[in-house]
Amino acid sequence: MKPIMLHGHERSITQIKYNREGDLIFSAAKDPQPNVWYSLNGERLGTFVGHNGAVWCIDSNWDSTKVLTGAADNTCKLWDCETGAQISSLKTNTAVRTNGFSYSGNLIMFSTDKTMGFPCEIYIFDIRDGSQLQTGNPMSKVPIEAPMSKITSAVWGPNEEFILTGHDGGDLNQFDLKGNWIKGCRDHNGQINDIQVYKDYSMFITASADHTARLFDMETFEPLKMYKTERPVNSASISPLHEHVVLGGGQEASMVTTTSTRIGKFDARFYHLVFEEEFGRVKGHFGPINSIAFHPDGLSYSSGGEDGYVRVHYFDQNYLDFNFEY
Amino acid sequence: LLHDILKKKPKPSDSVDSVIIVDCIPKVGKDRLEKLKNVIKKLFSKFGTVVNTFYPVDEEGTTKGYMFLEFSSPQNAHEAVKMTHGYKLDKTHVFKVNHFSDFEKYVNIPEDWTPPEPKDYEDMGNLRNWLMNKECYDQFSVIYGEGEKTAIFLNTPEPTKVEERARWTETYVRWSPQGTYLATFHQKGIALWGGPDFTRIMKFGHQGVQLIDFSPCERYLVTFSPLQDSHDDPQAIIIWDILSGVKKRGFHCGSRSTWPIFKWNHNGDYFARIGEDAISIFETPSFGLKDKKSLKIPAVRDFSWSPTDNILAYWVPEQSNTPARVTLVEIPSRKELCVRNLFNVADCRMHWQKSGDHLCVKVDRYKAKKVENKDQVKYSGIYYNFELFRIREKQIPVDKVEEKEQVLAFAWEPVGNKFAYIHGEAPRISVTFYKIHPNGGKVELFKTLEKKAANHLFWSPNGQFIVLAGLRSMNGVLEFVDTQDMTIMNQTEHFMATDVEWDPTGRYVVSAVSWWGHKVDNGYWLWNFQGVSQHRQPLEKFCQLQWRPRPPSLLDESKVKEIRKNFKTWAQRFEMEDSTRKQTASKDLMDKRRVLMEAFREYRNRKERDFAEQKKIRLDLRLGVDTDELQNQEDNFTEETIEFLVKVEEKIVEE
Repeated sequence: MKPIMLHGHERSITQIKYNREGDLIFSAAKDPQPNVWYSLNGERLGTFVGHNGAVWCIDSNWDSTKVLTGAADNTCKLWDCETGAQISSLKTNTAVRTNGFSYSGNLIMFSTDKTMGFPCEIYIFDIRDGSQLQTGNPMSKVPIEAPMSKITSAVWGPNEEFILTGHDGGDLNQFDLKGNWIKGCRDHNGQINDIQVYKDYSMFITASADHTARLFDMETFEPLKMYKTERPVNSASISPLHEHVVLGGGQEASMVTTTSTRIGKFDARFYHLVFEEEFGRVKGHFGPINSIAFHPDGLSYSSGGEDGYVRVHYFDQNYLDFNFEY
Repeated sequence: LLHDILKKKPKPSDSVDSVIIVDCIPKVGKDRLEKLKNVIKKLFSKFGTVVNTFYPVDEEGTTKGYMFLEFSSPQNAHEAVKMTHGYKLDKTHVFKVNHFSDFEKYVNIPEDWTPPEPKDYEDMGNLRNWLMNKECYDQFSVIYGEGEKTAIFLNTPEPTKVEERARWTETYVRWSPQGTYLATFHQKGIALWGGPDFTRIMKFGHQGVQLIDFSPCERYLVTFSPLQDSHDDPQAIIIWDILSGVKKRGFHCGSRSTWPIFKWNHNGDYFARIGEDAISIFETPSFGLKDKKSLKIPAVRDFSWSPTDNILAYWVPEQSNTPARVTLVEIPSRKELCVRNLFNVADCRMHWQKSGDHLCVKVDRYKAKKVENKDQVKYSGIYYNFELFRIREKQIPVDKVEEKEQVLAFAWEPVGNKFAYIHGEAPRISVTFYKIHPNGGKVELFKTLEKKAANHLFWSPNGQFIVLAGLRSMNGVLEFVDTQDMTIMNQTEHFMATDVEWDPTGRYVVSAVSWWGHKVDNGYWLWNFQGVSQHRQPLEKFCQLQWRPRPPSLLDESKVKEIRKNFKTWAQRFEMEDSTRKQTASKDLMDKRRVLMEAFREYRNRKERDFAEQKKIRLDLRLGVDTDELQNQEDNFTEETIEFLVKVEEKIVEE
């Protein structure tokens, strides 16, 4: 399959996301200009101008009217998706590391970094309430205190009942809207780099620096499956069409020059969801893959890398017909 | 303080242990007694404070010829006995010095001799157990986890772990030459393990041991520790009898520092070391110097044993007017079988062929020599020769092969009659193969492979196949060559490989990236002899892999011929076994998958039911819009027609 290369960023990609219907791809990178593209042909729709630092996270609401971005300039901004206009900017004390719209799109959450003496915190805003956006006073503010390590990845739970967080130390936790801790678990041995939920929110997959990606039950945190690699896994996604998962990763940035690019450490790796066996790899990135996602219809996937490129791959018939024997 | 004072408290036994008896001193009269006392006191004061002396005299006042001397501590007495026993006072008086306590010991030997209790025979199990494996899988040892974990694997299609122990060794492991024992290194000494369960067979206490060497027959073990070495009790190198665990002899280390310092002959009857102007040859099992004197060879530089006969080859560098020479000498007769003078020699390296039929001496020859200050010689215009000694022929004739480029590596084919060497300078490196025709035939250039990235040669232990490897700085390029017709079977790479090891049967090759050489991507890859990848095993902080050696085959020539003749029937049988094994493996895999899938389906069914139950909540959150399926909103699509140019064609309809 020949991929479509989206070249719109000068620095490495931090996150890519499809909108709910899959026709748009949002990309955030270490430069201050997040982009939105048509996933069908790779044509760029536009750029969101306004941030002053690396954009760490990006999300869109369910009807693709609004976009949420969090950046290292200590702001979390809300945008109009169609026009690109900035609706609101929420100031924080430290960089915004993760963010997301709730199921209905009425609530937003984001988490901040633990630096310069400020703790890591989760903020929850109701964007229907104009006063919250104007004053910057959130509906809830949840500090993450020691011994719990800082949040490195977070998503909304099903039906916006709780927020699922992944931490530096490999633990996973659930917090309700008031900020109460519901439950937690620690199966990973390294930082959680990415969490992505399955299309029906019943399961989610975590990508960790401990060289594995794992599948968990959303409600109980029961560990279901584990996918092993020899490299830190930066991102993982579950196919909505087949029983497949895709993993993207690479070696630690400090070791980049000591491995051969030909060896293919920068490929996207496909595993069978149930059997945990690797069955395919797609090469192409010149650096570690930082974010990877299946199209909501499962007929294509995209990956964003350290090299600053987003590559959109449409599967050929071989992949779609491929079946594991059992 | 109290402790120190208490230590000094005289203990009843102490004084006896500090007393020595000096016998065969001159019998002198009263007049010369004072002088005698002074002489003796002066001599023995060297070993400590003399607390007391007693000179027994007879009725006339003449000393009886022996005296008692007490030191302040038993250590002084011990030292004095060691150093002065046999001391020549003058021509007629040689001191005999003993411990007082020894007398008591020897006087009190019981009349009845009770024979020592025989130790019960400890059955170590079948030490050759691993060779009984039906499918003839070989074993190999793996150290990983930065040296924390040591494991033994069986070379099945997917390597199976036979044994794993944490902290089995403190540094690395070594197999004995015939594979019977596994030696592990510890601060206190060496331990040997073996048998079906790798029980500890024997341990050897040698504090701070760093290097070991086995005799080829596996009867003896040589250990080296730089720590302990006193003048009288050489402890740097110790040779042990493996089966009994007894220390046979200790040696000093000396100034030469390449290990192994002692080189064994092919069957363990002799071992030799090089010294200043001599080669000392020792024999087993007495461990004494053969013929009580070393082989005196002024300025001898290096030597090596033939791998099959009791022949020693050594070389002496050139001095002032005498050329360098290589000499072959027969042991134990010390008869010189062959002497070869070599002119303009800068350096020599000896390589014996494994069958003992040939010895190759790589000679670095110079065109010009300059002697700088302090006897430092500088050579220029180096070119190379290979002197090939034909050992089996009368008078041992020598053939010469010339090579102009710098030689980087050399290796004989272990079974067969070829040798290969790497020469040249990057990027123009070549590998040249020579063939020696059997029955006194000539040495002929077989083939030169040019423009290779290789710095090591690895022949299969059965000959014919060779791996040309560019390790470490050459990024792990591997080339598998069949030297029968010089076909290159496969060209591949194991990025940053640091080691290559053939299995003892010549069927498999392992390329490895050791954590000791390179910190990333550690692990080992298994190839078959054709260079087809079999298995890739990444291991966290993998350090070392060593195949377990096999003892020489018990089959004789006729049996081997017979097996080769019936090769087809054997091949058929093995193929059948292989296919049944594949089928069961895939059947096992299918069964496993089925179980996993059933469990997962059940889980998904439960989840889908929950999902269905919560539909109303979802609809409410999204203002009644059903977003459960992507295709639900047909009205949300806009149709767009795009026209684009496909082709422009000009067609002439009519002239």
